[in-house]
Amino acid sequence: MAFNYDKYLRLEKMPTLWCWGCGDGVILKAVIRAIDKCGWKQDDVCVVSGIGCSGRFSSYVDFNTIHTTHGRTVAWATGVKLANPDKHVICVAGDGDALAIGGNHTIHGCRRNIDINMIVINNFIYGLTNSQTSPTTPQGMWTVSQKAGNIDPTFDACKLAIASGASFVARETMLDPKKLERTLVKGFEHRGFSFFDVMSNCHINLGRKNKMQSAMENLDWIDSITTPLSKYEKLTPEEQLNMFPTGVLKHDTEVREYCDMYEDIKAVQQGKRKVITQDDFEKKI
Amino acid sequence: MATREIISTGNDLNAIAAVDAGCQFFGGYPITPSSEVMHTISDLLPKSGGAAIQMEDEIAGIAATVGAAMSGVRALTATSGPGVSLKAENLGLAQMAEVPMVLVNVMRGGPSTGLPTRVSQGDVRQARNPSHGDYRSITLCAGNLAECYTEVVRAFNLADRFMQPVIVLTDETLGHMHGKAMIPTLEEVKAGIVPRKTFDGAPEDYRPYGVAGDEAAVLNPMFKGYRYHFTGLHHDAKGFPTEEITTCKNLIQRLEDKVMMHTDELELNEEFMLDDFDGSDGEVLIVAYGSVSLAAKEAIRHLRKDGIKAGLFRPITLWPSPADRIRHFTDMTKNVLCVELNIRQYTEEVERVSGRLDLEGLYKVNGRAISPYEIVEKVKEVF
Amino acid sequence: MSLMKAPENTPVWVDTARCKACDICVSVCPAGVLSMKAEPASTLGAMIDIVAIDSCIGCNDCELNCPDFAIYVADKKADNIKFAKLTDEAKARAAAIVENNYRLPENYGK
Repeated sequence: MAFNYDKYLRLEKMPTLWCWGCGDGVILKAVIRAIDKCGWKQDDVCVVSGIGCSGRFSSYVDFNTIHTTHGRTVAWATGVKLANPDKHVICVAGDGDALAIGGNHTIHGCRRNIDINMIVINNFIYGLTNSQTSPTTPQGMWTVSQKAGNIDPTFDACKLAIASGASFVARETMLDPKKLERTLVKGFEHRGFSFFDVMSNCHINLGRKNKMQSAMENLDWIDSITTPLSKYEKLTPEEQLNMFPTGVLKHDTEVREYCDMYEDIKAVQQGKRKVITQDDFEKKI
Repeated sequence: MATREIISTGNDLNAIAAVDAGCQFFGGYPITPSSEVMHTISDLLPKSGGAAIQMEDEIAGIAATVGAAMSGVRALTATSGPGVSLKAENLGLAQMAEVPMVLVNVMRGGPSTGLPTRVSQGDVRQARNPSHGDYRSITLCAGNLAECYTEVVRAFNLADRFMQPVIVLTDETLGHMHGKAMIPTLEEVKAGIVPRKTFDGAPEDYRPYGVAGDEAAVLNPMFKGYRYHFTGLHHDAKGFPTEEITTCKNLIQRLEDKVMMHTDELELNEEFMLDDFDGSDGEVLIVAYGSVSLAAKEAIRHLRKDGIKAGLFRPITLWPSPADRIRHFTDMTKNVLCVELNIRQYTEEVERVSGRLDLEGLYKVNGRAISPYEIVEKVKEVF
Repeated sequence: MSLMKAPENTPVWVDTARCKACDICVSVCPAGVLSMKAEPASTLGAMIDIVAIDSCIGCNDCELNCPDFAIYVADKKADNIKFAKLTDEAKARAAAIVENNYRLPENYGK
């Protein structure tokens, strides 16, 4: 249907500064549609973006927006959320922003399981600064900081998020924006840290010297390295080595969210309940 | 002013003052000798409905604080020298985006890991320019236990008035000093709270950064119907990034002018035993601040008993410096002694504003306090 | 749901001011409705062109995949549009367009 995107866009800032065919725009669209589906009021939403091409995300959407320093979106968002626990906070960061300089903050946002939605726009490169290696750039690809070929091993961002304690972890790609939208809705409605590894195309930087100069070629490559979780589980270990599972990889509705737990601290300090002890937790380590 | 007596430490007074001044958020990280600020406020804030969080590192501590401040609440962080170094980048964003917040630096021996459990005043120069670029830092320095309370209260009001971070320097001596202080009553503090300016016209007419050349931005709290953009990039009246030459020039000039054209609202000094100074021979002006001023005052009492007419000029707002007032005394008094727990950090500012290069100095950087005796001996030695 | 009213009887329409000629919508359209055309004054010297509007099946793929909010598909109920069914002819045209660098071959179908 002809969705009224204009309601959510800062029209005076259009067209976006992103390159032709950049996945950032498709993700922006899916996020807007998902927010609309969740029925969130624009005034109740805060979008925090990092530095990079994805960092410009926040200036295009008509919410309360913050463009922070490199790598700090989750820490920033933690302050916004903890001071305003009933509002909706979305972080948007690139793979370098979220997993390199921001790795520590991402880990601890997951660990706290604070009700923040973190969208990592993973285009496997540092795009804005022109093709430096990121923690997800595949080994052997050309990057401008390793013209001899990238030797740095990569992260699996979702495994990192799951191990760190995020209660909702999903991976989607640009190839199916409708599926991306559905997953975003699930994660947005989940109360806890929702982590999305959204694989996107940067044909201008990553693709340029790695034989994927057009958006479509870059997307075909992403298609070739991703498969739905159900199919992934049936692959052999050798096949799994070069595949990422997509879909919702973790959705734990039992684990308590941070702001909810902080209410207990308020209650203790206000004399409304006794001190929190180990007996209050099933997991004691 | 109505006062009350309290027995506490400098660090605890920082925390109590913040909560009394309406602070609703603290984001921090443990670091000696400031950790007690976090410990105390972690109990006080949730009691009053606010939130305090120990983040995973210093940078996250200030990031959360600035985030909360952007959302519209009074927010505090506390640290020591190494933490300020780490926080510098985000302090810069708070300066650029004009976000009010208070940073308490309980100074310890530096540089680097330095002397974590010992006193210094080695971060004074850093406080003037913790982050890169052009902006004007507002830095206050508590000189006794009571000021560990009152300067934090003043800092929050100044932060909201000037829409930028305000640094409150204390040091390990004051932070851990346990004693009696006379502080304003809670009613006094509440009555004196001046919150940030807000805009209440139509949202489409709102221009958060569209203010006059010597004014601070008008930033409404989030989630109240006024949606705008914060960024560390150069930005236009609505907060959107821009590279337009006039807008960029005016923005940076305004960050300078909003402070420097209103220093009268920032300046605060103590002039101890200076009322009888008139430029006659033998007058000795001591310039000192922070915990050193406690020793200086005691030294001055001894010197006066010994017939030496000494007095103390103590800036409480260190940056911007009280240039005119300093010059008033340095023009008049031949004998000037600067006393600091660093090597000439504020002396160089006194030299700059006075135009004099003949100032005497007593400097100590071994993590120990300067005693009144050392100051008395120095005065007698050099003058 | 925020809906935008479609122009009268129009299944799909474009905002040429926003199009950056990335070819994505052309590549995802199953019915060969879209093609790029030369447009010297525009990004990459090209612009989106609707070449077979009557073949539009209303799948919405072009709208969802466009990064620049440059193409919109009507809502079947709200705009009272009757979309076409996907025919072999449409599929063949789509393939030919993709083959030809996302441009409808000259004299196609003539």
